[in-house]
This record gives sequence, structure tokens and C-alpha cells, in this order.
Amino acid sequence: MKLVSRLILAIMLILAAGILILGPKPDENVPPGRIVVDYWEKWSGIEGAQMQQIVDWFNETVGREKNIFVRYLAIAQVDRKTLTATAAGVPPDIAGLWQRDLVSMASRNALTPLDEFAREHGIDQSAYKPVFWKMCSHDGRLYSLVSTPATMALHFNRRAMLQSADQLRAAGVDPFQAPRSIAEFDRWAEALDLRDERGNIRRAGYVPMEPGWYISLTPYWFGGRLWDPARGEFYFTDPRTIQAFEWIQSYPRRLGKAALADFSSAAGGFGTPNSPFIAGTVGGVLQGPWMGNYTFNLRPAMSEWVVPKSIELFLPRAARQFNYEWAVEAFPSVDPVSLPDVTFADADLLMIPQGARHPRQAFEFIAFLQRQDVMERLNSLHCKPSPLSRVSDDFIRRHPNPYIAVHERLARSSNAWPQIASPIQAEIGAELELAVQQVYLLEKTPAQALAELTDRARGKYQRFVERQSLRGRMAPRAVTAVGGQP
Amino acid sequence: MKDRRLNLLLVHLALLLISAGFALPFLWMVSTSLKPLDAVAPTTLEGHSSLSLIPDPVVWTNYLDVIHNRRMDFPLYTRNTLLIAVLAVIGNTLTSALCAYGFAKIRFKGRGLLFAVMLATMMIPFPVVMVSIFSIFRWIGDHTPLQMLGTFRPLWLPAWFGSAFSIFLLRQFFLTLPDELCEAARIDGCSEAGIFFRIMLPLARPALAVVALFTFMGVWNDFLGPLVYLQRPEQFTLALGLHTFQSQHGGTQWNLLMAASVLVILPVIVLFFLTQRTFIQGIATTGMKG
Amino acid sequence: MTSRDRAQLMKGLAFTSPWLIGFLGLTIIPCALSLYYSFCDYSVLEPPVWIGLENYRELLIDPEFYRTLRNTAYYALLTIPAGLMVSLGLALLLNAPIKGQAIYRTVIFLPSLVPAVATAMVWMWLFNARLGLINTALRTIGLETELRFTLVNRILEALNIAPLRPLPFPPAWLSDPRTAMLALALMSLWGVGHTVVIYLAGLQDIPRDLYEAAEIDGAGPVRRLFNVTLPMLSPVIFFNLVMAIIGTLQVFAIPFIMTGGGPLRATYLYTQYLYEKAFMYQQMGYASAMAWIQLLIILALTGIAFGTSRRWVHYQGR
Repeated sequence: MKLVSRLILAIMLILAAGILILGPKPDENVPPGRIVVDYWEKWSGIEGAQMQQIVDWFNETVGREKNIFVRYLAIAQVDRKTLTATAAGVPPDIAGLWQRDLVSMASRNALTPLDEFAREHGIDQSAYKPVFWKMCSHDGRLYSLVSTPATMALHFNRRAMLQSADQLRAAGVDPFQAPRSIAEFDRWAEALDLRDERGNIRRAGYVPMEPGWYISLTPYWFGGRLWDPARGEFYFTDPRTIQAFEWIQSYPRRLGKAALADFSSAAGGFGTPNSPFIAGTVGGVLQGPWMGNYTFNLRPAMSEWVVPKSIELFLPRAARQFNYEWAVEAFPSVDPVSLPDVTFADADLLMIPQGARHPRQAFEFIAFLQRQDVMERLNSLHCKPSPLSRVSDDFIRRHPNPYIAVHERLARSSNAWPQIASPIQAEIGAELELAVQQVYLLEKTPAQALAELTDRARGKYQRFVERQSLRGRMAPRAVTAVGGQP
Repeated sequence: MKDRRLNLLLVHLALLLISAGFALPFLWMVSTSLKPLDAVAPTTLEGHSSLSLIPDPVVWTNYLDVIHNRRMDFPLYTRNTLLIAVLAVIGNTLTSALCAYGFAKIRFKGRGLLFAVMLATMMIPFPVVMVSIFSIFRWIGDHTPLQMLGTFRPLWLPAWFGSAFSIFLLRQFFLTLPDELCEAARIDGCSEAGIFFRIMLPLARPALAVVALFTFMGVWNDFLGPLVYLQRPEQFTLALGLHTFQSQHGGTQWNLLMAASVLVILPVIVLFFLTQRTFIQGIATTGMKG
Repeated sequence: MTSRDRAQLMKGLAFTSPWLIGFLGLTIIPCALSLYYSFCDYSVLEPPVWIGLENYRELLIDPEFYRTLRNTAYYALLTIPAGLMVSLGLALLLNAPIKGQAIYRTVIFLPSLVPAVATAMVWMWLFNARLGLINTALRTIGLETELRFTLVNRILEALNIAPLRPLPFPPAWLSDPRTAMLALALMSLWGVGHTVVIYLAGLQDIPRDLYEAAEIDGAGPVRRLFNVTLPMLSPVIFFNLVMAIIGTLQVFAIPFIMTGGGPLRATYLYTQYLYEKAFMYQQMGYASAMAWIQLLIILALTGIAFGTSRRWVHYQGR
């Protein structure tokens, strides 16, 4: 026994030594003489590899011409890494971060303003869909440009609607179309509910927490606004915000808290074939354009209702949509006439931190990405719309998401709202999430939860203002283009 | 005699039950690593009324997918992790032993205070010192020829200054060795270094094995250090690589993640199994008498 | 100071110099800086501005500070005693001279090796309210009921405190605010491998003749445990207690992945709050103040442990 274990140990040692001496080595393949631009991005999985293609493209073309080499690092928790490195004065030249980082970093002078560079490259707001241009600015200055945008829309299950066509008709809802108003949506959702004999939900028309990523922004669909940058005020007790939270609470009230908890625990995680929308256990979800890829990867049958994918691609675009069990429309708002095409517009943003060594060269890459062909290639890969106002027919026709036209329409909508652009959004987001939980678990009435939320948010904002004034900065300021709020 | 045998049987039974409980999550990991993606999460659809421990069908190819993965260069990451681990283990074991000997066997003024300060450093939460430590590495890189950021050095060099935990552990060990041993050697004209290397280190072998193993495990599973200090994908370690199986909006490929995790910890399990005897005797002789 | 003293000092410093250099070069500056930052407004992105005791004043009126402190205390009370006892029991079992010892020991140690992401995910599935293995098993053996806390509620009623709401059993574990912390504590027992190994070590160290003497005196296994094993092991128990205090109060990674502090912040732990303040809300000054308060708490607790140790920790041969 002892001999055997010695032997195994020896083998392990030899193996380890072998790997160390003869194994692969990390070699750097930066072409000599090029200026290296370090680009850190949040995507650790497949999205990261897709961006690599674009980086390679740049390095082979514009980069070669202008003597720039983009060194690309896709890594988890990039915000933490960027923050640490920026604090130590050695930030990357480009950081791919989120909307909430922009205001929080810009208001602390941690980002390089890009107005000058943009002007040199002839990049201005005329080339963009308004919401995606506005979200890149803070306090009247441009701090970032979009890499991949997304708009959130109602994804609904047409097969479920056909199965429950009678119930839908009985509820006064067209079984062949997406509901257009919140009231109609509620009837639609209720008609799609199916329960088993024990009262467990087998299929729910709609579950607010599935997946629940954008639930705290529900007031947008009720015409509410959440934050006024000019006055530094949160609108959490606005009647429309309260109405939105009451609507959220109506779901656990109607379906039953216990039944919903049970439903959630039986739901597979997102990105697995058992996640409720893909498994068909929920009628509709508020989701983004990547669903085009995920539905096909995880459950191809959903996207091959009539003919196989290979044949479908030869069909005219209008006919293609009949091949899908699922469809996409704007998530219904409280009043479709005065408030059409409401969406939450999210985006991954490219920024140049203060202290970056090669900001000019970094912007060369960002500008390269803003070229229509490059932008369309990247966003086809990521299954997302384009932030640019001009979109080629080819992009729409060849896009992996058959409903990309809906997303394009939503992205152009005047009711497309970005993330709340408060300078303390990470904190406010956590507080909002708590309020949603309190409402969803029926712990508090919406009015109560939102009143408390307002108190907390005011306190935190007040603190921010005080701390800013320590540095001689006044807030709130008269702001022109923060976050695109009305 | 019969009584004793019954006792042993009971102990066996108890251990068997408990081990089953302890092994269960690990077995689950292994089982998940062998499942197709649509069987990894709970579902009520199509007959899976609950999660099953036994994968059906068994998807061995998950392991091949992990090893031959365009995004996670398994052999390279193994090599990187191993390199850091080896350097850290050698450094930490050697210098911790040196310091522990100083704290245990040499009476000098301020020793107690110094020791207390060392223990206190274990109580400072890492998040509040991380940025400063990072800045120090940057400063070293800027003011000495030793480049730090973007190299493996910040991950193994600190180990060469010992760690509070290891020093504490080894000090306890040295304390149990009789002082007469050193005194006799000193009278024989042996230098302090001679005593340390020729008498203490050989006697401390088991305890050194403990420190080495703990250090190895720490480096092997470290996520934060590599995240912050490494700057190129070719430098990634295994722990960083595990995140390849998660995506921004796409959730996680749990079966592949679990397969990769199994591969990552397997060598450590074997190592523990083979060395556990030394390991346990090692701490045993330290005798916590301090 | 005599020359001999000086020589000793030089020798001592020489041997401890690696740690000293590391301490002076890498540890003391960040620690001192964090103390300084705790008196500053500091976002890490801009230079700190001195604000005196403002952060500490704010801490005193911060409800989340008290909430996370309370949660952490609850978690520590649940895990430290249970963890110490379970690991001691396991060590006693694993110390028995039986076949397959190496395998048992490895299995018990196994969970300490599993990466945090994998651990968290496996436990989330095990705790799944409807389909998880734990609840499925509990239901299969017929344990399906509702806890009404009748007795407790009668007492609470007498004390004019709101009664407890009935709790379904098996509970929803992580998704119920009332059981989430309990679930995390249960899970933490799975990671006692390190402690077991240290106990095991202590057990090897107890001289055999003490047991023999006790046996001759007619002591049964229970008395041997209480009169020989536990007293002889008390230094190790003490060591593990101190380590558990230091470790448990800084716990963060796995609960963070599993619950993110929810539901309803029922599992929001001190170190998570500190981490969020430091890296997500860019309030490093505030986080530093939290860190120093945490340090004081840990110091006080270890101090108490050291203070009482004289009464129950028996050092051999003294």
C-alpha cells in the first residue's frame, strides 16, 4: 500500500514537472513596434470569444495601418478589476462596463471625456438611435460609446396561445396576437394559466419574477419616471410608480404566494432548457434579443415549428416567423395609444478610464467598432440590434433573431428608456430590489414599500451630495442630457 | 473483545452514513458533470419530477468538451496554476518555518508583541487592503526592475515572506520540541542556522507537509488574486478559467462547469488521500500547547 | 540591554526577518492606510478627503450596519458551536483504528476542496423547495406538516409580542427569509474538514497511558471522554474556537453566491455589506471604518476567549 502510494505520488510529481518544463507556455504574440491598447471586457464565456473576432479584424486592418494592437482580455468581474487598476493608476485603455458604472465613474472624474476624439472621427449623435447616444453622456459630456445594445420586449409562446385559444377568446383576447395594453395582458395571462389537481401551477401566463431582471423598471410601462437628474429627485412615490408596483403585486395576490414560490423552485435556471419560457411553463417573459440564440440552442424545436431551419432560411422574411413557436412584441403598456413601444434599453458600454496610457489609440478601436459594417457584424454575433440609426437590409435579413425588426423598432421608440442614471445607481438598485421583494412577497403594500424606499434613497443621495461638496462639486446641477429622462 | 468488535461495527456504520452525507454534494457534482445540459436543473417537465443523482444518459464527452475547449486552454491553465503553486509552496513553507523558529526558539525582546501583531493581521478584511496592496505592487514595478503587474509575481512572491497562519502552525510545532535539543547543539558549537537546517527542519517534516498542502490548496483555488493581477488570457489560472462556462445573459453551462471543477480538484483529492497520514501526524506533533 | 540580549534580538530579528520585511513592505502600509481612509471620504477613484469621525458617526445610525451585524451574530451563533461539536464528533469517529480510515478522512475533507461556485450551486439544488433532494427525502419519510409554534406563541402572546406565523415543513429553505440563514448554517457544517483534521491531530497527541490509567480506575467510555479526552484536547478546542471566530465573522463568498443577501436581506452578512460598500458603491472610507469596527469586535471576542481560557483550557505539563 505504502509502495503504491509512493509510486502514485512519484508519478504525479513527474507529471507536474513534465507540465512545467515541457508544457505549453504563455507566449505573447504582439507584433513588434505596435502601440498596445489594453481592452478589458466583462464577457467570460461565448460572448467574449465573439468579440475576439472583431478585435482580430481590427488588428489586421486598421490596427496594422495605424500601428495599433488591441490586446483583449475577457474576464469575469471586470468592474472590480478595472476599479482596482484605475485606483492604482494603471487602468486598461478600454474598459467594457455597464450603464451604472458610467455615471458613478464619470461623477468621480474617473473617465476620459470623448467629445474631442468623437469630433475628430466625425462621430456625433446623428448616427445613433437617440436612447443609445444619450446614455453615453453624463453632465453634457460624452464618456462612452455603445458596443452591444439590447431592448427588452415581450417574448410570448404562440403554441400555448393556440392551445388555450378558447380560454383566450372567452377572456376577450385575440389568440393570434400579443396583448397590447396592461389590462388586456392581465386577461391574456390569466387565460393561459394552467394548474394541476393539487393547485400547483403547471403553466402561468406571466410571472413577474421570471426572469425578473428588469422588474424594478416596470414603472416605465406605466408612464412613470424614476429619477430626475436636474433636481436630484427620485420618483418612487409618483402615483404611476405606485400603480406599477401594485400591478406587480397583483400577480402574487392572484396566483398565490405559495404557488408562485413553488413554481419558482421548480423552474430551471436561465440558460438551461428547463428555464420556464423555453420549457413552455410560462406564457410570456420580458426579455432581450439574445433569446433568439438561446431558444434555438436550448430547444431547437421551438424555432422549427413547420420546417427545419435549413429550409426556413430560404423563405421570405414575412413567412419565416410562422416557423417559430415564440414571437416578440413590445411589452404592453398601461395605454398603448399614448404610450406605445415602451422598452428598457440596455447596453454594454466602452469607456476610457482616466489615466489610460493610450487614449487616442484606444479611441481608434472604439471608432472602428462604430463603423456600420463592424457594428452589424458584432451585433449579429451577439444576437442584438444595432445602436446606429442606419441599419442595412442585410443586417435585418440575415440576423439570427427573426424578430430583430421588432427590437430595431423598439430601439428607435421615443419611449425607450435607459437605466436610471443616478450617480449612486448601484446602491439605489439594491434598495429597489428590496422594495420589489417586499411587494412580491406580500410583506408590504406598494405605497408603504415605496415610501420607505424614497426615504432610504433620499438619505443616500443626500450623503452623495454632501460628500461631493467636500470636493467643491455642486450637485445637483442643471443637467442637459443625463440619461434621457423626460 | 466481542464488545470492542461491536463498537467498531457501530463506528463503521456511523462513518459510512456520515461519509455518504459528506460525499453527496461531491457525487452530485460528478453526476452533473456527466449529464446533458437539459438534465442538470430541476424540472417538472417530461417525467423528471425531481432531480436524479444518476445521470441518464451518461455524457462522457462533457469531459472532452472541457479539455478541448477553444475558450479554456486547459493544459496551459494547468501549467500556469502549477507554476504559481510550486513557487508559493516552496517559498511559504521555507520562510514560514524560518520565522516560526525565530518566534518559538529564540528569546528576544518584543517577541510577544510582534507575535500578537502577526495574529492581528489575520483579522483585517481583505477588501479594504486590496487596492493598497495592488498599488504597492505597481510602485515596485515602477521603481525597481522587477515588473509586478501582469506577471505571476504578485501571486507567489508574497508567499516568500511567510503567512501568519503557517507561521502560527509551525511555531506551535517547534514549541513542543524540547529546548535541550537546541542547547546541546549550541554547546557543540553549532550555529543557529545549522540548528535550524540540520536539526529542526528534519524533525518538522510532517508539519511542513501540512503547511505545504494548505498553501497548495489555497493557491489552486484562488480566484481573486489572479483576477486582479493577471492581464492576459494566456496567463489565466484554472480557477479563472472556470468562469468560461458562464455567460452574460446566458446563465451557465453547469454540466461543463462541474466537469471542469472535478478535473481541477481531482489531483488535490488524490494528493490528500495519499498524504493524509503525514498530514495528520504532522499537526499531531504540533500539539496546541501555546 | 546587555550584549547577550542584543545578540539574541539580532538573531530573533534575523530569523523572523522574512515575515518582518513582508509585514513592513506589504502589510503595514495597507493596514495603516485603511485606518486613515476610515477617517476620510474615499472612493478609491479620487484622492481621500479627511472628514474626521464622519464615517463612524454615519455607521452608528446606519440601519444596514445593525442589520448585517445582527445577521452575522446569528450566523456565528448557529455555526460556531455546532461546527466545533460536529467536527469534534467526527474527529473522534475518524480516530478509531478501523479499515478504510484514509478513505473516510478524505471524504470528510473533500468538501473543503470543492470550488465555491460549484459548492454553492450544488447546495442550491439540494435545498430546492419542491424538487431538492433534502425536501424530497423528508417528504418521502412522511415528514410533511406545518409548524404552528403553538407553545412558543402562547408565551409570546403573554409577553405581548407578535406571534410567529406558521411555517410549512419541510420549509422552502433558501427562499424563505425565516429559514434561509438556517440553511446556510446547515451547509457550513459540510465544510468542517479543516477543523476535523486539526482535532484529529490533537487526538493523536493525547498520551495512551492516561487512558489506561483511567480504565484501571474503572472509568467507562463516557467518563473517559469527559475526564481525559476533553481536558487534554482543550487547547485544540480553544485554538479552533479562536480560528472559528476569526473565520466566521469574515464569511462571505458562498452565501453571497447563493442568496446575494436575500430574501428580504435575511442573509445579508457584515462582510458582504463591507464588500459592496468598498467595490460597488465606491465608499472605501466607509468600508474601512466598518473593517476597523469588525477588527475591534473580533479582537474583543478573541480577548474574551483568551480571558476565559485559563478556566477551561488545560495545558499539559504545567
